[in-house]
Amino acid sequence: MITLSHYLVLGAVVFCLGVAGLFINRKNLIIVLMCLELMLLAVNINFIAFAYFLQDLAGQVFVFFILTVAAAEAAIGLAILVMLFKVRGTISVGELNEMKG
Amino acid sequence: MSEAVVLNLVLWLPVVGALLIPLLPRERDAPVYTLAFAVMLVQLLLVIWLFVRFESGVSGLQFATQIPWIAAWGVAYHIGLDGLNLLLVLLTALLGPLVVAGAVRTITHSVKLFYAMLLVLQFAMLGTFLAQNLFLFYLFWEAMLIPMFLIIGIWGGERRIYATVKFVLYTAFGSIFMLVAVIYLGLAAHAAQGAPSFAFSDLYALELALPVQTLLLLAFTLAFLIKIPSIPLHTWLPDAHVEAPSPGSVMLAGVLLKMGAYGFLKLGLPMLPEAAKLFTPVLMSLAVASIIYGALLAWVQDDIKKIVAYSSISHMGYVMLGLLSYELLGIQGAIMQMVSHGLISAGLFFMVGMLYERTHHRELAVFGGLAKWMPVYALFFMLLALASVGLPTTSGFTGEFLVLLGAFYGAWPAFVQGESHYALILASLAVLGVILGALYMLRLVRRLLFGPAQAPGGQPADLSRRERMILATLVLAIFTLGIYPKPFLHKTEQAALDYQRLLLEPTPAQEGL
Amino acid sequence: MTFELPDFSLAAAELWLLTLGCALLMLAVFVSAQRHTLLYGLSQFTLAGALGWVWWSAPESRSLTFNHHYVADDLATLLKSAVLLLTAVSLIYTRSYLERRPHLPRAEFYVLILFAVLGMFIMISAHSLLTLYLGLELLALCLYALVALNREHPPALEAAMKFFVLGALASGLLLYGMSIVYGLTGTLELHTLAAHLSDPASLPDPGSLTHLAWGFALTFLLVGLAFKLGAVPFHAWVPDVYEGAMTPVTLFIGSVSKLAALALVLRLLIEGLGALAVDWQGMLMILAVLSLTLGNLAAIAQHNLKRMLAYSTIAHIGFVTLALFAATPAGYHAALFYILVYALTAAGAFGVLLALSGEHEAQTLDDLQGLNHHHPWLAFLMLVLMASMAGLPPLLGFYAKLIVLQALLDQGHLALALYAVIFSVIGAFYYLRVIKRMYFDTPTHAATPRPARDLTLALSLNGLLLIALGLLPGLLLALTHAVF
Repeated sequence: MITLSHYLVLGAVVFCLGVAGLFINRKNLIIVLMCLELMLLAVNINFIAFAYFLQDLAGQVFVFFILTVAAAEAAIGLAILVMLFKVRGTISVGELNEMKG
Repeated sequence: MSEAVVLNLVLWLPVVGALLIPLLPRERDAPVYTLAFAVMLVQLLLVIWLFVRFESGVSGLQFATQIPWIAAWGVAYHIGLDGLNLLLVLLTALLGPLVVAGAVRTITHSVKLFYAMLLVLQFAMLGTFLAQNLFLFYLFWEAMLIPMFLIIGIWGGERRIYATVKFVLYTAFGSIFMLVAVIYLGLAAHAAQGAPSFAFSDLYALELALPVQTLLLLAFTLAFLIKIPSIPLHTWLPDAHVEAPSPGSVMLAGVLLKMGAYGFLKLGLPMLPEAAKLFTPVLMSLAVASIIYGALLAWVQDDIKKIVAYSSISHMGYVMLGLLSYELLGIQGAIMQMVSHGLISAGLFFMVGMLYERTHHRELAVFGGLAKWMPVYALFFMLLALASVGLPTTSGFTGEFLVLLGAFYGAWPAFVQGESHYALILASLAVLGVILGALYMLRLVRRLLFGPAQAPGGQPADLSRRERMILATLVLAIFTLGIYPKPFLHKTEQAALDYQRLLLEPTPAQEGL
Repeated sequence: MTFELPDFSLAAAELWLLTLGCALLMLAVFVSAQRHTLLYGLSQFTLAGALGWVWWSAPESRSLTFNHHYVADDLATLLKSAVLLLTAVSLIYTRSYLERRPHLPRAEFYVLILFAVLGMFIMISAHSLLTLYLGLELLALCLYALVALNREHPPALEAAMKFFVLGALASGLLLYGMSIVYGLTGTLELHTLAAHLSDPASLPDPGSLTHLAWGFALTFLLVGLAFKLGAVPFHAWVPDVYEGAMTPVTLFIGSVSKLAALALVLRLLIEGLGALAVDWQGMLMILAVLSLTLGNLAAIAQHNLKRMLAYSTIAHIGFVTLALFAATPAGYHAALFYILVYALTAAGAFGVLLALSGEHEAQTLDDLQGLNHHHPWLAFLMLVLMASMAGLPPLLGFYAKLIVLQALLDQGHLALALYAVIFSVIGAFYYLRVIKRMYFDTPTHAATPRPARDLTLALSLNGLLLIALGLLPGLLLALTHAVF
């Protein structure tokens, strides 16, 4: 029997993978975008699991919105990435250091 | 025209002047200082008229205006004259036109901005004295900061930026704690009366627990001691004075320094009487230490402006001593000493400025025998120096004598009953300050005016008519206060009596206990 | 579940913005980008119209629509009006800047600004976790694009990337927190949430698993909010974005968007989770203290004015957080008042930078050096703005600080009030340094051209408003007080 906590643990693990990937990765900005995606998917797992166990539709609706927004976000992120590559010729995280901070 | 309207006019005239200045033609400077001078002069005449109309022997405010302003916080635009601020307002108004007249040759660039700032400063200073609402008081108090910051910073000497930043940071640091205390008092008044209020009269009636009073007075004390300035918080003063242009120094020494003492007089002591009694020995010691330390430092300086600056620290110590005596004579003496010091130090700073304009030097060592070359200058300098020393028939004597008398009166009963000796010891030490004052002033006079004549760049021209007029006005005021102080003392007597009662007598609620 | 037709009239302003924004987007396809005046005029018209709709549709009392996902109340009316006015002012400041730089995509700039305003509107009127999130994302996506708009400028792109990554991370954290809140209460609507929490029986017992879950959720939400507000230690993006983005965008992010950020906090934390104040107060206090400290200290070291203002924003956010920390109506009122004052002042400060930007973009202290010689009036306005930010009376900024301190002292937080006060004196130092450079130092380079007349006029109004409202603070106080 798969219970709510199984799903929540799965969500938490995926979320942590996303966050960890974001911070550990110093090489490639594309991986950063994937990690962000991973975080949102973890949230989706949470919402669907809760919605199913609470017998409430609102959570599932929320997931659709998150998916849409995530798509838009990825589009903008990739657009900035492309521009950055054009100007700088690299997409390494470590080289984003022109300004201190 | 009723007096209250005139008082409002007095307060707001400088603002009107400052707003008119940008409208004047761009190229010429003459209309600018003419306008500023006219504004200041009209203001002075109105203040003199109010002074004459001011009734002595009557308690409380006269010519008051009260208009609700920020109703939600109980803040009102509430101004008025009473015996405590009357003479200070008169002093401020008197120095106004003199400073404008004195600045004509000193200030040569950004003239419009200078006079606009001077007028704003005048407004803020008068407002601080006239305010009868703590919140309003604080606003005016802080509003002095920016004009003074610019006056020292733009038209000052070589190290002007260091000096002005130091001045502002010191002052801001002190007043920000005062802000916390102000808010706290407002909240306390709200809790006690059910309605928010910052009116002085309501705050006097507050009864706060001693620990609370102590903390509040600590905050106020910090702000006021910095402004007076008393040791150990005085270090901004020599820098600010030395670097400020001479009109700025005059304003600073003449009026701004009085703010701290006036703060103690108006709100620190009467609002928090129990804590004030607790603080009295410490504050009194600081006052006497300032008197002696300031005089000793003035003795060893080589820069004439620094000598005058340190003498300010010494003279302001007497003001504190008088206030803390809790005696009628002492309180009146303190007010008198404030006015007297305002006049004398203003005159001395003017004179230093005039010498500097001619020679571009201020070191004592390069001058000598100026009495030969500049007899009129020497005469005025002698008179001011003697007034500063406290020669009888000058205002310096009236002020210091009353203060010392008050201090001894206050100290005597405790001494006779064998309770404590500190007050008497301190009062005696303060007398020492008078002697030290004579030492450094006479050293200054001897080195500057007598001996073989020398000055950088050859013989400087003697005083112009404009300069003579400025100094003559000041000297006249000094001698008036010295020879015939009665009308001035008379006008302040009732307020000082009421004030003493406020300090000494237990509040009605305490009597009921 | 029955379907009821929502009351569209309450959201008239949003619909108007959406329609005109799309229309402008279409227009930009057909009209040459050289016709700047047309685009500018249309944008201003859209904003003015939206303001009309906001006031026309303002309900007498608090009303909900769209199945309780949308609320129209006094807070919303006030914040929306402020957003519209400040955006309009920002566009006035920006016009000549864009005119001098034909390579910038102008149409996109205006469209993105309008959609960002729409996003803020949705945030301000949000009454469920869903609408909050959608408004937030609409705003954030527009801002990412706006920062990256200056495509040839590497720092802008770098700033956009950092902004994007950290912003998306913040959204992710916020969403994760929201998902837990949803799981604990089974609702997305804020008032059901508040009702659920106000029932004493449903308040989690300390130490229970539910309490732990709530703590978990609150932490995620708070971290997300702190990112959006730019509070320390989640501030890393703020200085880089302020510096990298072109000044008009910095102006928009630095002033207008802060209003929306506060709306987010007020709606989520206070309206939704107000009953859990005890649990989030401590976190806010840490954020506030750290922001005050780091913001003020780091600002001293900055030479780039935009960067300095970024750190000063962080410090001001610290003050706002402190007001929220008080967790009383007086505190919320103080936070609202503070953020309005701050937005107005920051808009003016960036406006001065824009006024000084000819071909070269004015952004360092050197560009302000000796300003009093060339442009005495601009220097005076900047003096007023800086003095207001430093909190000198009788300017408006003073009352903002005062009212926060009042709220704190009223709750007996004397130590915190003193701490805030000490750091605002330290803060005064770097504002004074700007004044010093303008007034005390002699200019090192030639005068920039006279700024456009509408810009000067708007800037003068902006500066003088700080004085006028400082003299009559009762007006603004009454306005913000009516909200709570």
